[in-house]
Amino acid sequence: MRLETRRLLDRSFAGTGVLAIVLMTAALVILLAPMFVRGFGAIVFTATVEQRRLMLEKFDRGNRVRVEAEIASARAAREPVYAMIAEFERGLENMGPDERRMYAKPLRELKKEIQTLLGPAPGTVQPMLMRDQYGQTRWDRARVKLSRVLYREEWDYSDPTRAGVKKLKPRAEDFAGTSLEALFPYFEHDLDKMLLPRRTFYWRFLTDESFDSHFFGGIWPEILGTFYLTIGAMLFAIPMGLIAAIYLTEYARDTRLVGILRTCISTLAGVPSIVFGLFGLAFFINTLNVSSSKSVLAGSMTLALMILPTVIRASEEAIRAVPSAYKEAALSLGSGRWHTVWTIILPAALPGVLTGVVISMGRAAGETAPIIFTAAVSVGKPLALWQAFSQPTPALSWNIYNLATEHEAVDEIRHVQFGLVLTLVGLVLLLNLTAIFLRARISKRLRG
Amino acid sequence: MAVKAEAIGDDRRAVPSLLLSHRARRRQRIAAGLGSGALFAVTSLSLFAVLFIFYFIARDALPFFKLEGVREFFASTRWYPSAEKPEFGALAMFVGSGLVTLGAIVVAVPLGISAAVCLSDVIPFSLRQWVKPVIEVLAAIPSVAYGFFALVVFAPLLQQRGGHLLAATVWIVGLPVAALGIVVLSDIATDRLDDKRRSAARWAIMAFLGAGALAGLVIAGKALGALHIASGTNALNVSIILGIMALPTVVSVSEDALQAVGRELREGSYALGATRAETIVKTVLPAASSGILAAIILGIMRAIGETMVVWMASGNAAQIPHPIVNFLEPVRTLTATIAGDMGEADQVTGSARYHVLFAMALCLLAFSFLCNFVSEWIIRRARKKVGG
Repeated sequence: MRLETRRLLDRSFAGTGVLAIVLMTAALVILLAPMFVRGFGAIVFTATVEQRRLMLEKFDRGNRVRVEAEIASARAAREPVYAMIAEFERGLENMGPDERRMYAKPLRELKKEIQTLLGPAPGTVQPMLMRDQYGQTRWDRARVKLSRVLYREEWDYSDPTRAGVKKLKPRAEDFAGTSLEALFPYFEHDLDKMLLPRRTFYWRFLTDESFDSHFFGGIWPEILGTFYLTIGAMLFAIPMGLIAAIYLTEYARDTRLVGILRTCISTLAGVPSIVFGLFGLAFFINTLNVSSSKSVLAGSMTLALMILPTVIRASEEAIRAVPSAYKEAALSLGSGRWHTVWTIILPAALPGVLTGVVISMGRAAGETAPIIFTAAVSVGKPLALWQAFSQPTPALSWNIYNLATEHEAVDEIRHVQFGLVLTLVGLVLLLNLTAIFLRARISKRLRG
Repeated sequence: MAVKAEAIGDDRRAVPSLLLSHRARRRQRIAAGLGSGALFAVTSLSLFAVLFIFYFIARDALPFFKLEGVREFFASTRWYPSAEKPEFGALAMFVGSGLVTLGAIVVAVPLGISAAVCLSDVIPFSLRQWVKPVIEVLAAIPSVAYGFFALVVFAPLLQQRGGHLLAATVWIVGLPVAALGIVVLSDIATDRLDDKRRSAARWAIMAFLGAGALAGLVIAGKALGALHIASGTNALNVSIILGIMALPTVVSVSEDALQAVGRELREGSYALGATRAETIVKTVLPAASSGILAAIILGIMRAIGETMVVWMASGNAAQIPHPIVNFLEPVRTLTATIAGDMGEADQVTGSARYHVLFAMALCLLAFSFLCNFVSEWIIRRARKKVGG
């Protein structure tokens, strides 16, 4: 081969490696960007007057006088809508039966769409479900609902070889020539007067309970549940992991039994997380009966088992990284083995152990599969500490799955889903940044 | 040094005259023995954990084989657990798990090994400090967040623009590979010619091959661009996401393996006049091959054991794609079946429907145990080879 070709191959080889790293970084950015951008949308968004009414009525938050003035002004702006509908209905009574039948269905649909956009019309019965008691609380959702007021979806199945094609038909055409025709331009131009959108910083998203299965409110029960599960798992895993690491580094000789122990630890690390979930169900709940059904306690124990190998390995590494001169000095001063471990080695290894603990904490917080059968429920109140021993809890990870796939109105609560994802990812990233920071400090100290 | 410290630290060999009395000495020895025994007891909990996991999963799995038999489970694709006369053919799930794992490996292994080589041999140390956190963060993002991304962001994208995305990928990957291949091929083909004719012959071969490659790329790109993807939640989506998830494992383990190859080998190769690429491909990679194999096995384990992503974004259709490598069809994996069906099977503890999920878990467990065993064996053998 010619030298030039070899050089070209060499260059492109290096280029491939760099490209792989660039791709990896790009994947990370592409992954995180929507989570962050749309996740913040759950906290900082343009809220309508309905949101402020909700806050006032459910939490007694906000300036009562001002909000009530806003509600009054919004109601005044909505009045023409209801007046037009009432007038049209009066006119309908004078029409023939054929026309009445022709308008009945479009009118019913239109009124329903207006109700989802603005909330129940004044003078009607208060609906049972909270989601029907208020109009759209977010301006972005209100725009979507507006288009459903203005347009009707129609599916075109004329071509049997393809799936149906969606077409939007203006509702104004349904009511062409009637008094209701003027309603649609009014909606299009004056929706902001009816809903009074204003930018809000709803930080209480993190500390509010959810209402009506996450249609309104925040994610506090999930945050608390994840907190309990993680802390519970660490309470079991840290002592066990640390003791195992001390034994393996300081006491164990190179015997066959210790070799088997090491194999077991790496086997444990390789068990699929869903199998841990099944084991937790079969062992902790069905056999040991730590609780009669799912509970935070059972979930924590399962999670602890799952992160145990990580804790052991990280602690082992941290203990091994302690310079042997420390140990030798302690031993030469007449200190016993346990005394050396307790007073010299552990304090020196502490930052390293902490790094491993923090990383496994992130893993425990984010893991879903082990808690599906052992701890997680979809909807629940925030638990008090003593309830954690017997009660299941919502958790960030489980509710992301649940709200994104099993919720009755997946599209309506996208912002809640993204808010949950952002909270979970933010939490895990924070823990990992702490670990990276800790490690940087350790390496600096070792160098200096 | 360490051996010496151990000898001093061992209480039994301490000089007796330092102790006050025989009784105190005995007491101390018993206390030390008890302490070390307690530590051992706690450590052996992980042994019991593994045994218990095997026992409890197997205990609930075996009744299924007694109730329904082994053959249907492994050989049939008919999965109707809630029918009046239930059928439990899990072959489609085995194929689904295998398929997405294969896809994940196809994504993760080339990327991961290239990145590992780049990290260990190409980029300078200061830059490496910046790349490491990227890998760590990729590894730290919870699987449910990956699943959410796959379902909410990636699946609609794939459904609407999937064909174009695939075509773009083919161009981006194919063009440089083709260009490189053409240069090398033409070079090898004209190696024996004399100088006068070589240049012309090279250009002729390059033009010929280049035209062919371009035509191939255009045809492939057109075909892919016209592709209609019926659903974004399919095996391709899951494979890509699982590949990204397995990437950190593959990168960090194979980077360790590459680092473990000594400087001497590299310097020897450079001294013989090899370029960096030749050194890595012909010397370093073969020397690190066992570690890289272990990295691939760990990546496979990560992909096959993953639950949330496949549950959310694989489409969960219990069928074998037709043809079997059609990644654009929805599949269903073992893990997703366990996660999804337990909710309904939970109430009927003791039925075949409940036990079949444990049977699947047992298969997963056995597979991961086997993988783990093989990777440990590979690493141990490699260490022995290097040591001896």
